[in-house]
Amino acid sequence: MTAYLGRRAFGALWAVIGVAIVVFVILHITGDPAAVMMPPESTQAEIDAFRHAQGFDRPLIVQFASFAASAAHGDMGSSLRHQEPAMGLAIQRLPATIELAGCAFLIVALVGVPAGVLSALRPRTWIDYTARVIALIGQSAPTYWIGLMLILLFAVRLGWFPASGIGDWRNLALPAATLGFFSTAKIMRLTRSAMLEVLDADFMRTARAKGLTAVRVSLGHGLRNAWLPIVTQLGVELGTLLSGAIITETVFAWPGVGRLAVQAVFERDFPVVESVVLLTATIFVVLNLVVDLLYAVLDPRIRYA
Amino acid sequence: MTRTVFTLFAAVLALAPAAPLRAADSGGTTVTISQGVDADTLNPLSKTVTPLNNVVQHFYERLADFGNRSGEFVPLLATSWKRVNPTTEEYKLRRGVTFSNGDPFTSADVKFSVEWIKDKSHASEQTPFVRDIDRVETPDPYTVRFVSKVPTAIPPGLQQPIFIVDAKYFQEKGAAYVGEHPVGTGPYVLREWRRDDQLIMDVNPKWWGGRPKIDHVVFKPIPEAAARVAALRTGATDLITNVPPQYYIQITGGQNTKLASTRSLRQLFIAFNTLQPGPQQNKLVRQAINYAVDVPAIVKNVLGGRGYELTSPIPPNYFGYDASVPGYKHDLAKAKALLAKAGYPDGKGISLVVNAPIGRYNRDREVAEAVSGQLQAVGIAATVKPQEWVSYSSMVGRRALSPLYELGWNQPSADADGVVTSLFTSSGPLSCYSNPEVDKLADQARGELNVAKRKALYKQIATILHEDAPWIVLFEYEDLYGTSKRLHFQPRGDEAIRAYEMSVS
Repeated sequence: MTAYLGRRAFGALWAVIGVAIVVFVILHITGDPAAVMMPPESTQAEIDAFRHAQGFDRPLIVQFASFAASAAHGDMGSSLRHQEPAMGLAIQRLPATIELAGCAFLIVALVGVPAGVLSALRPRTWIDYTARVIALIGQSAPTYWIGLMLILLFAVRLGWFPASGIGDWRNLALPAATLGFFSTAKIMRLTRSAMLEVLDADFMRTARAKGLTAVRVSLGHGLRNAWLPIVTQLGVELGTLLSGAIITETVFAWPGVGRLAVQAVFERDFPVVESVVLLTATIFVVLNLVVDLLYAVLDPRIRYA
Repeated sequence: MTRTVFTLFAAVLALAPAAPLRAADSGGTTVTISQGVDADTLNPLSKTVTPLNNVVQHFYERLADFGNRSGEFVPLLATSWKRVNPTTEEYKLRRGVTFSNGDPFTSADVKFSVEWIKDKSHASEQTPFVRDIDRVETPDPYTVRFVSKVPTAIPPGLQQPIFIVDAKYFQEKGAAYVGEHPVGTGPYVLREWRRDDQLIMDVNPKWWGGRPKIDHVVFKPIPEAAARVAALRTGATDLITNVPPQYYIQITGGQNTKLASTRSLRQLFIAFNTLQPGPQQNKLVRQAINYAVDVPAIVKNVLGGRGYELTSPIPPNYFGYDASVPGYKHDLAKAKALLAKAGYPDGKGISLVVNAPIGRYNRDREVAEAVSGQLQAVGIAATVKPQEWVSYSSMVGRRALSPLYELGWNQPSADADGVVTSLFTSSGPLSCYSNPEVDKLADQARGELNVAKRKALYKQIATILHEDAPWIVLFEYEDLYGTSKRLHFQPRGDEAIRAYEMSVS
């Protein structure tokens, strides 16, 4: 087990380093930020002086070497826009993103899985059809549009929730619903098909033949055996929710990591983009590892050596 | 699984930030302002973007500020100024002013602020603002002199007045600290700043200018226009910026909301890149295109009437405008005749790309599309090439956009100098036009201290620019803000938002 963990951690480290290199190269080949940051009336000499002071006039490989050297010491450089340590800015916004993604994940797990199970147990009934139509909408409507519609209905028309910003639980409701909608739909469909597959299995017939209650048959035997793909997907979804709140955070003016990332990309604030990507990549990789370890807990037949 | 979910839930609750402070908790009147972006830093010496300036001008002040008319200044930290010789401007400073930490304001603070920006190692974006100031002299604590290398018509220090910081505090704490803990002479002091969430300020009881009518100001950035409008309609904010035309009706029809507007100092134009080969190097083609474009129709149909047709790159609300310089009136017959004369009968043989940014200016892409459609009416095959702003702006700087490119320009000083020097001289950073005569006249006008003579020089330049037609001259915008009905707010052409000039009923 320890050896396995060591191997996986080593692999994860390389994945994060790979991400860092790709992001660095992609950012820098799109041009340097001097022309955008300086005011329009700047002369070429003024722009060049700015570029020199920021070190953007050095060859790409030299810039990368100095980036890698400081990154290895945990220093991602200073934000061009805020003139503060870039990683600090990203970490500062992490709690807001975790709060939003965590609530969205609860919606995904507590609505998506039960709805999928019900839908599979009662195929071709109104429950099934309603769940499937909602899933279809969730999977096909853009997050941006859903967010705006929720704002118009629940904030402007009904006045139940604030339209934007962070605060108490009421501020959380609309963005969490928006963010969780797509993943809920996905988990629901996945749960439904996974359940349908096991419902006809021999052990299910045996369980029923033993005289177990319908609930115990479907949850204790059915869901228990359909779990693996669902848990894998839940893990992936949690990672996506944590790193993919960009649109939701922008629409709802939520002060999280995603919004910081969008602004940083628009303004070519390289250190911040690099920090955000590294941070979310790390979260994603760690979550994946946790999911893999969960397998052994959920299915005793799986053992890591 | 249930346990995992509960653990997660507990983790979420533990990590959730405490409920933010409400400005209203402390009594007094509060106004909430929502721009698209948050302030980057509260160090007022490093950045140049408007939304940031709108925040920091509540903490910091300039020596003087632009008045409502071009060439007019409102004294702030300086009470008066005069030319002591052609290259030296002397400012008398306001006495008895203190920074919010109690430090007295003196000429040393002015000198420090200018020199901090000029120091190349600070990579300040404001270096163009102090370009003309060669050195700063401080003969006594309440007198400061800006010395320039050559005489300039606009006094050095007033092209774009900078904010003044507390030299002692800034040196002690450093720029990064000041970026989060502003100490200025202005009407407000910072209470709390949660990045991208809200920035709350309270009135500065020690302000020399008296007590503003608004006690607390909250800047609450909302990036999405639709969400800004929703926040205004639900009463979560009192003032929103950059309202797109499709929301006008929602705001004017709202029970508690209204539109506030003013003529902007920002003009939108489409320039010909006359430095690159192509039909746009032919003056007759440029003139023909100017006749082919119907600006009033664009203002009416693309901007919903919220714009002002221009006849010259020097607009009527700028110093240097002369009404006697003619413009191009929409005239298809003239356009066709000129094209034929240029050797392109019925526009045959001309295909042009109109480069345009996406989402940088109100309706930027749509305006370019309208123009290219109108060019097709005279037989010119025109297509629009829209691009994202960051790469677009660096291409503008490299003069790489050709044959046509759209750009906006806002000159807070409302003086022809900025437009002409930056956009029409051979060495102008954003100029794709080169005419030795214009270069000479622009230099002369820049250093001409006699107002009437300087005005005459700009008339000469405008006349050449009309004849040479290096741009398709379009329009100035009308800036639109949505506000709550209780708020009294007078918008300004330079896009500045000042809570200390507002009141509520």
